[in-house]
Amino acid sequence: MSAKHKLPVTIVTGFLGSGKTTLLQHALRQQGMQDTAVLVNEFGMVGLDHHLLQMVEESTILLGGGCVCCSTRDDLVQALTQLLNRVQKGERDVSKVVIETTGLADPAPIVFTVLSHPVLQHHFHIQNVIVTVDAVNGLFHLRRQPESVKQALVADKFIITKTDLAPGEEVKQLLRELQVINPSAGRHTAVHGVIDAALLFSPAVTIRQRAADPAPVFQEKGTHVQDVNSVSITFREPLDWTAFGLWLSMLLHAKGEDIMRVKGLLDIGGAGPVILNGVQHIIHPPNHLEAWPSEERVSTLVFIMRSVSPEEILTSLEAFQKAFDVKHNMPEMEILQ
Amino acid sequence: MCVLCTGAILQVHWTDKSTGAGIPDGDQLRLYRRERLHRASLANKILCHYGLKVEEWNGSKYLLSDRKGRQEIIDDLGGLWPAAEKLAGYTLNPLDTVLIAKLKQDVC
Repeated sequence: MSAKHKLPVTIVTGFLGSGKTTLLQHALRQQGMQDTAVLVNEFGMVGLDHHLLQMVEESTILLGGGCVCCSTRDDLVQALTQLLNRVQKGERDVSKVVIETTGLADPAPIVFTVLSHPVLQHHFHIQNVIVTVDAVNGLFHLRRQPESVKQALVADKFIITKTDLAPGEEVKQLLRELQVINPSAGRHTAVHGVIDAALLFSPAVTIRQRAADPAPVFQEKGTHVQDVNSVSITFREPLDWTAFGLWLSMLLHAKGEDIMRVKGLLDIGGAGPVILNGVQHIIHPPNHLEAWPSEERVSTLVFIMRSVSPEEILTSLEAFQKAFDVKHNMPEMEILQ
Repeated sequence: MCVLCTGAILQVHWTDKSTGAGIPDGDQLRLYRRERLHRASLANKILCHYGLKVEEWNGSKYLLSDRKGRQEIIDDLGGLWPAAEKLAGYTLNPLDTVLIAKLKQDVC
């Protein structure tokens, strides 16, 4: 079944108190958002978030048992199948699903659950992972809390919240740091949770943000975040999908834990590019675009990884390309950070 | 579901991009077969360094074997690497400098 018939799932995550609920509250009140089902992941206290999200009360299903991490993925499966049942019975008209995680949740297992469950994978697809980052405490979280970094790595879009409360310099510093951790995600700001819902729920197209602000991404000693490297690899010629798939699947099998993110726009010889999006071991079903977004047809891949050096990746890819007899199409690498 | 072996294919691996589940017919079948043979021949360029070999089987499976005659049946690349790991006895790491050196020398 093509992605068109599947319900888009948006995962909203972000560290504790970073404004996930506020963001959703505002977004869900906007036009065209009535048929959104919201799954809230309860953590601790009595369904507080549930009360805040009254607007969508009927389609809100509380996930019991804390985190939507590996341990309680079943809850998510249950919640989504339940939702699916209701949709297919015609009880509800749902055009999109939002999953709000807890502040400490790792979004990767959620992506994994949706992509690998035998039933769910045919009815839902992950559209976006939105990560809210608090402008006041965001930097602190990124430096101290590994969960926060993990969330940032998985992001398709960052929403910087509370920018009105933080000094401008701090916001800039935060943006720079996010660029270092995950250069492939788009960055937007929201004050008091006000943001255009269309922006939140449109598919992420950013493969790679070329430092939009011309300021060089400078690196202070203290800002280096937990040994994260990111690298952009480009190919001038169309790629052999089979050869590339062999290399990437082997790499992910061996080093999936350390390759935090793979994102790419690949020219495999067809009319349009293929969008590749992966989080650790999990690769989304590649999406074929009808046409190229711009004139230039260059395959670009962004890797974000931990404790794997960019040179290792490039050497390995070069050796494989050579072994596969595609010497004319050698990768070019640029270390983003 | 394969009627011969009753193996259910629940997951289409991401590398099987366009084919999706099931074997196509008509003209598509040739392309499909060719792609699978191409994949097996490319995979062998890597696997030979580990004493392993993969063969395409009837358009539906791959057969991975080592030189002692042990065999594993696999569906796709998602199953290839774990099976290869099992037969080789260790993880096949593409970043391994020894492997890269061998690839460069083309010793196979």
